[in-house]
Amino acid sequence: MKTLHALWNVLVAELALLATKPVYWFCMLLIPLFLIFYFTNLMEKGLPKDMPVAIVDLDNSKTSRTLMRMLDSYQSAHIVAHYASISDARKATQDAKIYGFFYIPQGTEEKMIGGRQPMISFYYNASVMIAGSLIYKDMRAIATMAQAAMGQAKMRAKGMSDKDIKAQIQPIVIDAHATNNPFLNYSMYLNTTLIPACIALFIFIVTAYSFGGELKFGHAKKMMKTANNSIAIAMTGKMVPQTIIWTIVIWTYEYWLYYANAFTHNCSFGFLMLLGLLLVLASQGMGIFMFGIFPSMRMSMSIGALWAVLSFSVTGFTFPVTSMDTAIQAMSWLFPVRSHYMIYQIHVLNGFPAYYALSYFFALICFTLLPLLVMSKIKRVMQTYIYIE
Amino acid sequence: MKSLNTYNRFLQKVNDSMKIFRQELILVFKDEGVLIFFILVPILYPLLYSWIYNNEIVKEVPAVVIDNSNTPLSREFIRKLDATQGVKIIGHANNLEEGKEAIARQKSRGIINIPKEFTTDIIHGKQTFVSIYTDMSGMLYYKSILIAATDVSLAMGADLLVKKAGNTTKREDQLTKAPLKFQDVPIFNPAVGYGSYLLPGVLVLIIQQTLLLGIGLSAGTTRENNRYRGLVPVEHHTHGIYSIIFGKGLCYFLVYSIIATWITLIVPHIFNFIQMGKANDLIGILFPYLLACIFFGMTLSTLIRYRENVILFVVFTSVPLLFLSGLLWPETSISGTWRAISCLFPSTFGVNAFVKIRSMGATLHEVKFEYIALWAQVAVYFLTSCLVYTIEIRRSKRMQKSRLQQVREENMI
Repeated sequence: MKTLHALWNVLVAELALLATKPVYWFCMLLIPLFLIFYFTNLMEKGLPKDMPVAIVDLDNSKTSRTLMRMLDSYQSAHIVAHYASISDARKATQDAKIYGFFYIPQGTEEKMIGGRQPMISFYYNASVMIAGSLIYKDMRAIATMAQAAMGQAKMRAKGMSDKDIKAQIQPIVIDAHATNNPFLNYSMYLNTTLIPACIALFIFIVTAYSFGGELKFGHAKKMMKTANNSIAIAMTGKMVPQTIIWTIVIWTYEYWLYYANAFTHNCSFGFLMLLGLLLVLASQGMGIFMFGIFPSMRMSMSIGALWAVLSFSVTGFTFPVTSMDTAIQAMSWLFPVRSHYMIYQIHVLNGFPAYYALSYFFALICFTLLPLLVMSKIKRVMQTYIYIE
Repeated sequence: MKSLNTYNRFLQKVNDSMKIFRQELILVFKDEGVLIFFILVPILYPLLYSWIYNNEIVKEVPAVVIDNSNTPLSREFIRKLDATQGVKIIGHANNLEEGKEAIARQKSRGIINIPKEFTTDIIHGKQTFVSIYTDMSGMLYYKSILIAATDVSLAMGADLLVKKAGNTTKREDQLTKAPLKFQDVPIFNPAVGYGSYLLPGVLVLIIQQTLLLGIGLSAGTTRENNRYRGLVPVEHHTHGIYSIIFGKGLCYFLVYSIIATWITLIVPHIFNFIQMGKANDLIGILFPYLLACIFFGMTLSTLIRYRENVILFVVFTSVPLLFLSGLLWPETSISGTWRAISCLFPSTFGVNAFVKIRSMGATLHEVKFEYIALWAQVAVYFLTSCLVYTIEIRRSKRMQKSRLQQVREENMI
């Protein structure tokens, strides 16, 4: 009974603190909600379309104009300019006016008629990844089509039907199934991990901030007294209100992505909610652990932030972890967001049974339990530490 | 007489600046928070990031194959696919379910399904369809498998065409294969490496973010240490704003010229990332970039009451800023509002100019727009830092006066 009473008192004190300090309003509600809006709004179109490309047509013939028309009919590229030379086009690429250009050299048609295999080039800017690779894909399709178109005339003269011609020119067709993301929606591909990673990052540092704040603003001893000098009560009382707020934030993003934006999810909403809760608990656990190791507000926040920023890379949702060095592959287990991503990938996106992701659930639970290791140290710090500086 | 006075006053100012410069430099190395973000992070993070992305490309993506046809032709297809750089066939599956199981176990990233009619279709002159299914959790897996499969299908298609044509000479064969030749040329990043694409931008962003953190933390320390919670300690009042701004600015600039050299020239060299720009052009753009970041940081630092809030601000902006620079998300697909907001941050122009110079071999003249924008930011943020420092000094003086008055009143009683 006494314990419950103490817990209640800590809870109330923490709630009052959360409500009255603007920094909590910003970091726990306003900024995360803003980020959810920001990222989904930025990538609203899903797949970038009509990216500017150009043509350098030195042949200026019927063939070259046919090629141009073909290029323009594809969805991700849009011809915006003609340049007189390669160096002009290259400069425009450098200025980010275009992402690539077709180069049709002089004498293309002539060589074609004479059967001398003219060469057409496509230059694309590979230093901007998404734009570069989307255009590259279209370019390859066009190349195949153009080849076909050029060969067609001859075959038609032999009296072949269109269907036969197609089969002649491209006997094997690759039918790509982008399972669960058929439209290659980049928003769905990036935001499903980017947003939880951002929220986890905030959980890390706000957790460290709220514990460090007790020391810095000199309330630590008072808090311990309220909690009957039990660190378990103090921690639970401090964390539970935050857990609730974070969980609501996470559920908001899940609702926003998977329902409002209808992103693929091959699982129940109940599972998503559970996964969200697990991420919150794991991140809080990690945050407390970092505070336990570096029991000062600034240090634990800095380390937490530095750690969390790495998780954007080590999660491997852009550049896969399996292509990184072995040491980094091992290190990836130390990031809660990585486990979250793996569970998302296995169960939520691909719809495989959740037991394939069992080890990642286990990892998240381990993160949640981390504070047990540093409890006694935090207790000592809270009772004896005096904030210097 | 008067000119001598002016000269002496000028000397005095220089002396003041140097004094503040010294104090700030000592603070950088004494305050562990500042030390971490000014020195440690800029030294270690570029190394860490370079290490993470050192392998550059996704190679040999594991895939399983379902060979329903099981004929010499289908086996040739599989062999050729396995030989590509993009795909590695790790085994056969009997059906789609087995293939999916391998993906669920994270053993495989894709399934290649060759239809039963593969060979008969081809013989009868019908198009045959090979299906590929990929795990869409990583866009690069999809890209790798798709490109490899397309390449193989086109190459085999051309070979088959030649066989049927019944040509008599090799030259005829070549023409049948390809009446028109295509080549694709990835420019500026010939290996299409992920590290070469992502790192330059990240490195430049690290410079800005750590500068903001360091300046903010240092300002926070000063503020928390001095009596009236003001940004400008009482003993500095006589120095005037210019001495303070020049003194501090010089300190940050000095530290960061070394850091920037490390980040932009040495680290990429160690890891062999593509480096096209000339050192002079890089220095030319980094000079205004550093200044803009420093004055931007100084302006911001006055708005921050506690040291820790700087960390929150910087952490909050890091990822969104990387997106706004147009490096990750095509600039042409970013809406006007976001682009307008992005103009507030030096990193937007810094990243763009740096990538153009470093990865695309542009000269300083060719990044004129970013260059001018950065200098404009230098001017604007210099003025704003003067303004906020003036306000801060007035505030401190007022606090000091009222405190003095209070003491006097107490003494009178």
